[in-house]
Parts: sequence; C-alpha cells; structure tokens
Amino acid sequence: MHLLVVLLFCVGLGAAAYKHLALGFPLLASETETIWQLEGKIVFDAKPGMPVEVRLNLPDNNPSRRLVSSDFIAPGFNFDEIEEEGARMARWRGEGIEGEQVILLRSLSYFPDTEDALESPLARPLGDDMDGPLRRTGLSLLRDIQPAAGIDGALQIMRSLNQPGEQRVEILLRGNTTPEKRTYRMGQVLALAGYQVEPVGGIFLEDKSRSQTINHFLEVFIDGRKWLLDTRELEIIPWDRIVLLQRNKEPLLEVFGGKDSRVTYATNKLQRATFASAVDAASHAENPLIDFSIYSLPLSEQNTFKLLLVIPLGALVVVILRNLVGLRTSGTFMPVLIALTFLQTTLVVGVMLFIVVVGVGLILRSYLSHLNLLLVPRIASVLVFVIIIYGAIGILSAKMGWQGGLKVTFFPMIILSWTIERMSILWDEAGPREVMVESGGSLVTASLAYLLMGNTLISDTIFLYPELLLVILAVIIAIGSYTGYRLSDLRRFEPLERHD
Amino acid sequence: MSSFWQRLGMASPEFLRSKGIVGMNRRNVQLIARNNPRHLYPNVDNKYKTKMLCAEHGIAVPKLLGVCRVEGHVHELKEFLRDRTQFVLKPAQGSGGKGIVVIVGRDGDDYVKASGKKLTHEELCRHVSNTLSGLYSLGGKPDVVLIEDLIHFSDHFDGYSYEGVPDIRVIVYKGFPVMSMTRLSTHVSDGKANLHQGAVGVGLHMATGKALRAVQFDRPLTHHPDTSRLLSELYIPHWKEILLLAARGFEVSKLGYLGVDIVLDSHQGPLLLELNARPGLAIQVANGEGLLPRIRFVDSLPQGLQPAERVQRVLNHWQAKMQEAG
Repeated sequence: MHLLVVLLFCVGLGAAAYKHLALGFPLLASETETIWQLEGKIVFDAKPGMPVEVRLNLPDNNPSRRLVSSDFIAPGFNFDEIEEEGARMARWRGEGIEGEQVILLRSLSYFPDTEDALESPLARPLGDDMDGPLRRTGLSLLRDIQPAAGIDGALQIMRSLNQPGEQRVEILLRGNTTPEKRTYRMGQVLALAGYQVEPVGGIFLEDKSRSQTINHFLEVFIDGRKWLLDTRELEIIPWDRIVLLQRNKEPLLEVFGGKDSRVTYATNKLQRATFASAVDAASHAENPLIDFSIYSLPLSEQNTFKLLLVIPLGALVVVILRNLVGLRTSGTFMPVLIALTFLQTTLVVGVMLFIVVVGVGLILRSYLSHLNLLLVPRIASVLVFVIIIYGAIGILSAKMGWQGGLKVTFFPMIILSWTIERMSILWDEAGPREVMVESGGSLVTASLAYLLMGNTLISDTIFLYPELLLVILAVIIAIGSYTGYRLSDLRRFEPLERHD
Repeated sequence: MSSFWQRLGMASPEFLRSKGIVGMNRRNVQLIARNNPRHLYPNVDNKYKTKMLCAEHGIAVPKLLGVCRVEGHVHELKEFLRDRTQFVLKPAQGSGGKGIVVIVGRDGDDYVKASGKKLTHEELCRHVSNTLSGLYSLGGKPDVVLIEDLIHFSDHFDGYSYEGVPDIRVIVYKGFPVMSMTRLSTHVSDGKANLHQGAVGVGLHMATGKALRAVQFDRPLTHHPDTSRLLSELYIPHWKEILLLAARGFEVSKLGYLGVDIVLDSHQGPLLLELNARPGLAIQVANGEGLLPRIRFVDSLPQGLQPAERVQRVLNHWQAKMQEAG
C-alpha cells in the first residue's frame, strides 16, 4: 500500500516535472509570453504555358527559436519541402498557371531560453579567400586598427569599415553597393582577421511591421558562443529579435517559370498563455505525452475536462474534512456537487440559495411527515417541492430585478431532494441541533471545495498537469489508511485528559 | 505542546496515544473493516434475525411472543393481544430505541404505557402500521414488528436509573470481552440508554463488574443527576454470566468487533438484548481507558477457544492486574 502511494506520487510528480523541464511547460498556467507571427507573401507573375516552380528558403534553426505552428496558402500548387546544400527550402510546383500569383505563409514561434544552442559552431564559415590587392588592403587596414580580442575587436573592424572617406575602405567595398554584398565583403574582412564568420539574412521581429524585406547580418563565432552583428548599425542583435531565413549565399527566393517575383514579410507580436505555446510546440514535435492527452481533444471537450479535473480536488477536501478533521456532512459527496453549483452561482449567492431551498424544503417536508408516506413517493414529493421552490425563487427574483436568483436552477435537484429528506429524518431523530451541525458541515465543506475548485490558478495548473491527479490519488489513499486521531477525536476525548 | 492543544479545547494526541485511545479512523479501518465482513451485518442490524440466531445457539433473549410481518397481521393484533397485559413492540431494524413501545398494563381495551399514558387499540395499530412501512428503520426500508415479553428489570438498579431500563454494553473483540459499561437512563436522555442523548455511562471493572467511573455528556460525575445515588457503589451481579453471554455473541454474529447489549431480568437473569456491528467509542470515556492495549492483549491470545475458556482468560488477566495493583 505504501509502495502504491509512493509510486503514484512519483509517477504523477515525475510526469509533471518532465513536462515542465523538458517540454517547457510553465509552472503556473497564468504565465504569458510573447510569440511572434511571421507572415511571408510571395508575389510573382506566372508565364503562360510553362510549369512553375517556386522555392523559398525557410527560416533556419535559430538557436533560441521554437516553432509553434506553420502553414501556408498556395492554391493550385503542390507543396513539398526539400533540402538543398544544407538549406531547408519550401517548394511549390504547379502547371497551367498564369497571371499574378500570391503565396502566403505563416508561422508562429516563441523564444524560450535555450542558451546551449548558441554554442553550436557555424555551419559554413567564410574562408580567407580574398585575393591580391584586396587582401593586401585588408591586411594593411587591420594592421592600423589593431583590433582587440573577442567581439569588441569585431565591432572595431566594423566601425572602421563604416568610415566614409577612408581610402582603403573605399577600395575594399568598391562595387559592393547592395547591403547583401557589403555585408558579405565585411564578413570577408573579418575572416581575414581570423574570425569565424558567416553572412546571414533575416527579418526583424517588430510589432505590426508590414512589408519588411530581408536584412543582412554577420554571424560570428567567438570563444564557443555565437553573436549576431548588424554591420551598418554596429550592434549586437539579440537572438530573440530576429528570424533567420538565409545563410551564406543561399538564394532566398527562386521562381522558375515566372517573373517580377518578390517576397515580403510581416511580423506581429502576440501575447498568449505560456502553456498554450508549450502544448502547441510539443504537439508540433509529435511528443507522445502530448499527442495522447487532453490537449488533443477539441476545445469544447477540453473545457468539459477542465471542469472534471477539479472534481478530485473537491473529493480531496471532503476526505480531509471528514477523516482528518472529523466534520460531519449530510451525504458523502453532496458538498462536492454543491461546490460545483457554487462555481456557476458564485459563493454568496450559492450559499443563500442553498439555505433558502433547503429551509423551505424542510418546512414543506415536515407536512409530509404527518402523511406517513412510503420512502420513494415521499422523496418524489420532495422533488416536486424542490422544483416548485426553484420556480418560485426564479420568478420572484426576476420580478424584483435580481438576476442571481435565476441561477437556482444550477442546483442538482435530486441531490437537494435527498438532502432535504435526510435532514428531515435527522431532525426527527436527533433534533434541530444535529441538522444545524450537519448542514453547517456540508456548507463549510462545499465552500472550501468551491474556493479550491474555483481558483483559476489551481484549476489551470491541474489542467496543465493532469498527471497531478495521481498525486491527489496518492494523498487520498494515504489518508484512507490513516489510523491516527481526527481533530474531532481530540475534541471529544478532551474531558478524558482534563479529568485524568 | 500539550498546552497548545488545551488552548484549542482539545486533548493532545500524545496523551491519547499513551492511553491507547482508539479514534474514529482506527476503529473504522482496524477494528470494523478488518474484523466485520459486510455480509454479516444483516444478522445484527435486524433484531429478528439476531433473535433467530440466538435461539439456534441457545442464548437467552427476551421471549418473542409474535411477529407482525405484513399489513394483514395488524387486524389479527386484537385477538393476539387479548390476554396479554405486558409486552414490548419493537421495530426489527430500528436504531437508537426509536419506535419501541413498552406496554405495562391494560385498562379495558386500552393499553397503558410505561410512562402511564394510555394508548387506544387504533393508535397501537397505526403505530404498528407505520413501523411496517419503514418509519423507524434505517433508510425507510419496510420493516417487521417484534412483539416481545416485557423485561422485569432487576431491582438491583433501583435508584441508578431514571424512567428506563439500564443495560450493560460489552465490547467483544474476537470473542473476548475487552471493555464494558452500564448505561443508566436519565431525565435528560428521556428514559433512553443512549450516551449521546444524555444517559450516564458507568465504566465497569472487567474482573468484578464494579463501577470504575461515571460520565454524562463525556463529563465525569459522582452521583446520578436525577436520583442522587452514589454511582461508585454500583456493581453488576451475575458478572461472570454476563461476560459469558457477551462472549457467546461472537459465535452468534461471527463479528470480530462487536458490541453486545445485555439486560438483567429479575426472573431470567442476563438476557442478550441486541448486537451492534459498529459499537461506539464513548465507552472509553466511561472507563477512562483506551481500547488499544486490550485489543493488543487479545491479539496475543490463542484463537479458537470456547466461550467459557475465553471468559476465564479475561478474568484471570484482570484478577492478576488487580493483585499487582494491590
């Protein structure tokens, strides 16, 4: 038995820990985080009578980027993903297509902290391949700069290369007018200085930015860590501000059988619950723990389960209050059902309605006592009473303009009928005091269960880590074999100690 | 630590443990669940079945005059009760003394209750009818009515009990009597021998049947609240016979944790009144002692002994303890 408890406890907690540590589930469901929506738009004119093939370089594995989802809209095209010379490309092919074509792509990504990925070396660093005069000019410039070690040295070289009017810089950059070519040449100078460097292209992540074209940067690997440099602004760019699309001299977009092709990007910043991203990322990665979980259900069913998952918490409250505290309630799990009702009505309104329904019910039921009815007809009569009381409360409160009263219908009427019946019998057998003790105990239990079940922090966490149910089960089983004293025992045997 | 609990108005767990007091959880898990198989409950919850079983085992019970099983029997009651002046009507599945009517005499066609109030035949019939339809049974189940001979309780208890029959409750564990008390009805308890309704519980010494201490509503007291008799002078006659009767309750019910209720009839001696599969824990307060050491003692004894031998073992144990204490 103890083994079972320990086992359940470990499995439940272990699965939760795995999801937190390995899958990046947040500890609390209320945590939110920023995710970025990247939308690409490819526009081109298809030439008539020619098969069309479009290739787009897909976002590279940015070390700290995690993909949540990606999809595209390209009517009339067949899609596949190919890898060419180490670059991931999306390929659309179509035939008999003409006129202006638009392909839309969209991906959601977020940036958890994954420092270690930054330590992987560059894929294809630039070689020291400048020749003759260029090389001499570069060496001469570097000699004058005398760059410091590390990333500061790289920035120093960049700064010099951005000085207009310096003759050697003019020579080095002559003819390299586009930003792409400039960046490439600067990378070559850095490589000459002994840096491991690779030119990359990417998109800045900015909120509500439209029609961005690709920007060019240098990736520099120094002392086991990668840096991203903006060659014009002379800045180190944080990894979570960029989506890299292009590496080295990879083409970004190739269109065969079309002309006037261009690609633009839009980025958008979204806030959403951390766990939603974690769930999506894990199911994107086809993690079996997530694939076969509640999250794989449709959203409406998920909400049903969200409610079901908190019921064990109510049961736990009942177990603790009955077996550790020794509180008496009428009906074992009636308080849990009442607590579920409170979730709909809110606590104060719920308690008021409960007292009114049960109170009036008891008065009407006392009349039935005189009739000496058999059990089932008696309860059936109480059920009719309860529905009449519901109706009366509903109509009265609506007439008085109080909407809270209408929520009375959320109370489970069969359960309330039984409660009234049981309390009525208790009244006859043990007097009103017992009735007060039991209904008070029931209400306290229901209220505590409500506070626990209604707490969004707790319910979201249980929904996030349903395996915690095993931990609850372990606690319940442990209490089930607890033979020590209840608080009520201590109270009851108190005279024994006082008069010992 | 103890002052912490005292401030809360509670006993400290250390103290209760040192006394070997059994709490509700231990009673339910270790005593009831382990020793009382569920299927045996009807044997004790239904007094009619208990009576039949006792008859099989030759155990003395209040004499059963008749049983009213169905509504049709109610019409035969007049004829049946014609020559009887003293009898008791009892629901077979009632609890806590509910629905019991004690008739001590006749006044023409009317019946005289123990309280002196009169009951017409129609009223008596309606009461029987109500009982049959389950008014007094647990959960409102249809019931039967037992008609029993009236117990002429021994005048030994004169002044110790007010308006009711005192009974003796013995806790029998695995067939060994382990703890006992007598329950004396009071004005507050309305003549009922139920401790939580205000009856006085008097713990009894297991070797002699002499009063140990008395409590009402869990508070100690020295004199009966209504008759002012000194409770410490109380002792139970036929003590060994009572223990034997209680021990034999185990053979009747097969329940390992059993409460046996016994009354003393002035003519017939100790009679087994009722068996209880879930005896309460208040007996520990009346005795000022916990059940646990006694449970452990019984667990160390051999099983499968005859009732007489079991009682002898218990008596020897307590007599030895008495001599030890001097």
